[in-house]
Amino acid sequence: MAKLLYEWDYSEYPGAKKYPHLFKPIQIGNLMVPNRIKYAATEENLNGRDGLITDAGVAYMRERAKGVVGGLCFMQGVYMDEKRQGQGYVGQAAAWDDKFISGLKRIADAIHDQKAVAGFQLMDCGRVGAVDIEEGHGPSTVPQRLRVFKPMKEMTNAEVKVMIQQHIDAAKRGIAAGFDVMEISGIVGYLISNFISSYTNRRTDEYGGDIRGRMQSVVEIIQGVKEALPPDMPLGIRLCSEELLDDVRGNTPEESMESYKIAEEAGVDYISCTLGWQESIYPVISRDIPMGNWIYLAKRAKEHVNVPIQMAYRLFRPGLPNEKIGAGELDIWEICRSMIADPLMPKKVLEGREEEIRHCVACNLCLARLFRDAPMTCYINPMCAHESNPEFMDPPPAKEEKEIMIVGAGPAGLECAYMAARRGHDVHIYDKRNEIGGTLNEARNAPYGDDELWTCVEYQKVMCEKAGVNFHLGTEVTEELIEDEMPDSVVLATGPAYPKIEGPGGERDNVVNILDVMSGKAQVGEKVVVWGNRKPGIGVALHLAKQGKKVTIVGKDKSAGFDVNPSFKWRYMIYLRQNGVMAYNDANIEEVNDEGVIIRSYDGYHWPIKCDTVVVSEREPNESLKKYVQSEGIELFVVGDALVPRNLSSAVHDGYRIGMRI
Amino acid sequence: MPVDAEKEITKLWRNLHNAQAEVGKTYYRWRQAALEIAGPGAKPLEIGLKAAEIFGKDIGKSFLPRLNWLKGEEGFMMSLGRAFAGSWVADGAIATVEKGETPSEVIIKCTRDPWPSWAKEYGVPMEEVALCRERLFQSILEDVSVFFSISLKIEMLKAIPRGHGETVFKLYKAE
Repeated sequence: MAKLLYEWDYSEYPGAKKYPHLFKPIQIGNLMVPNRIKYAATEENLNGRDGLITDAGVAYMRERAKGVVGGLCFMQGVYMDEKRQGQGYVGQAAAWDDKFISGLKRIADAIHDQKAVAGFQLMDCGRVGAVDIEEGHGPSTVPQRLRVFKPMKEMTNAEVKVMIQQHIDAAKRGIAAGFDVMEISGIVGYLISNFISSYTNRRTDEYGGDIRGRMQSVVEIIQGVKEALPPDMPLGIRLCSEELLDDVRGNTPEESMESYKIAEEAGVDYISCTLGWQESIYPVISRDIPMGNWIYLAKRAKEHVNVPIQMAYRLFRPGLPNEKIGAGELDIWEICRSMIADPLMPKKVLEGREEEIRHCVACNLCLARLFRDAPMTCYINPMCAHESNPEFMDPPPAKEEKEIMIVGAGPAGLECAYMAARRGHDVHIYDKRNEIGGTLNEARNAPYGDDELWTCVEYQKVMCEKAGVNFHLGTEVTEELIEDEMPDSVVLATGPAYPKIEGPGGERDNVVNILDVMSGKAQVGEKVVVWGNRKPGIGVALHLAKQGKKVTIVGKDKSAGFDVNPSFKWRYMIYLRQNGVMAYNDANIEEVNDEGVIIRSYDGYHWPIKCDTVVVSEREPNESLKKYVQSEGIELFVVGDALVPRNLSSAVHDGYRIGMRI
Repeated sequence: MPVDAEKEITKLWRNLHNAQAEVGKTYYRWRQAALEIAGPGAKPLEIGLKAAEIFGKDIGKSFLPRLNWLKGEEGFMMSLGRAFAGSWVADGAIATVEKGETPSEVIIKCTRDPWPSWAKEYGVPMEEVALCRERLFQSILEDVSVFFSISLKIEMLKAIPRGHGETVFKLYKAE
């Protein structure tokens, strides 16, 4: 009889009727898990640099544990060596000594408080480790492809055996801390994957050679950890189903499947199916990859092993995992980024509140922050990493109810409206357009998945309506309207202004605005210069290049996409190159003439670029109405691009914070 | 405001060459500093070779993300050869890559090299220039060899160290 930690009855919930396969139990080893949902171990850099657990880390996990509604909830992987070669993130939790047990217990308790199953993960970061020291460790001294990672030192045979024992000792600490499931991380370039891959393991001792040899240390870890576990505590492993390292002679898919079989033979109770390495040249989880793109790998894994298979990777909506579980092609739906964006996502699915989900937009800002030693944050979720701050999570009602006029129903205005209304204010949101969404109406037309950004507005609309926000669409706010309404506060969320190109020709007919281009209102010729090299400029350039036009970007920033996080920017750089878009950075347009434009580089060189259309994407703060509101003595706030043109994330975060303050 | 193409190109051309010359001069100024710190017993060639080794190691790291084994042996060797030539061209050389006798061999030829001229200004022997170039290239290759698990070699077949004629390297996969 398998052990059941907590009783859950989902039968009355609408989500369980709509997605029956997600909310049915599964036996893993000798443990019964009430549903098929797992929050997968995710680093968040919220713990101490010494590996000790902090209040912020506990609160972060508590929110995710609420979200899994009785399912599996894994804390971030712990590193296990005192020398910290296995530490890949400055805020990564540690388990190399018994002193860490009390902190780890706080996490297990926080998960159990929500009647969820607490998972503990062992993760030596290997090739991407040694974040705070000079040298990492691995099976062989293979040079790093990316300079951001530390040089590697080959582990001696004795050091490999020590590493195996460290896994076993850390697992015992996880047991002592009260966790229910044990997991070994063998993915994306971490130590276990380094041993498994032909790319990084060149050893000639018993821990190298063919795939069986390269799996030997993994087998010894599995067997050692398994022996330490109580009989009702399952052991799983996360393994690459495809490394995507064929350009550097990594494992073949067949070898990867062989590693699954070997892990199963060694005694694991489940396998989490992953793919790609951080060094891989192929994109795996960014927005340009269609949702469900990799789900076939779970099916393939199930054809090779009998233990349950779990998988994440661009499975952001419940429909597909529900279908695949029903079809026997997947057993558990793993969730990472979707629960960074909305920790309660599966709970909302269960309760039939899917329209209230704040969806991840797959921008990878979370990863970009981690790799730069910064605490986790989310592009779209302003509460992320503030879980320990009650004022942030559940802002108190306003001390004084105000009538608030919000000018602009884009993401900044909507976010602010929702939060202010939730706190008890009488909120009226105006927009001269007949629809909400502001400039995102146009921005979502950019290629490579930008339509997903619109989910933010869909969520905000629902939340505003539920909070009682009054919409006044098709109404332009003028000084007279403000005078008539005399609100207590005005929030300007008007979006950016688009300055004219200074110099001769800046007002010619062939100089058009980006919004008109993206909405199809403007006529655009075959040769186009886009003025502005930030995200909007890149978006419109790719939009036009996909139509077969010859596009050149000219912009003031030193590099194109300065405002795009590095974990997504590399995608844009590749797409610009693939679509033949040339970028002149650190440059200005000096003149628009019959032939095209004349640009001036930062160091004073001039040259002409032939074009028939110039698209203005350069933006500046929007000053309209600001002086008038101030002169009337009305409380004024400015948010989003109207304050400083930035991106969707800044709009949402601005709106949320001002909504908390009013 | 029409663009005066000749004027703009001349400005660019002059500044590019000044910048390239500054690279060489800076190197030899640092060489002088190293020699003075090392003291009278120091051997200039040893210091030059050590510098080439350090430079090569670092340049090699920048080669790694650009190389792709999926191009096949010949494609891989040609792109590696082009990376070598490109690093030379950036200094102001004229360097080209040709296919060798087998797919695992490429020839890198340099018909204009500014380094001997810079070296002459600082009284550096010509053989040091040639030997440092060879060490630099060999050092670049070390990490590339390990990374791709292929035994790669580079040999200087011919050196005309005064910067005229032709300097020739053979890059090949050792058996």
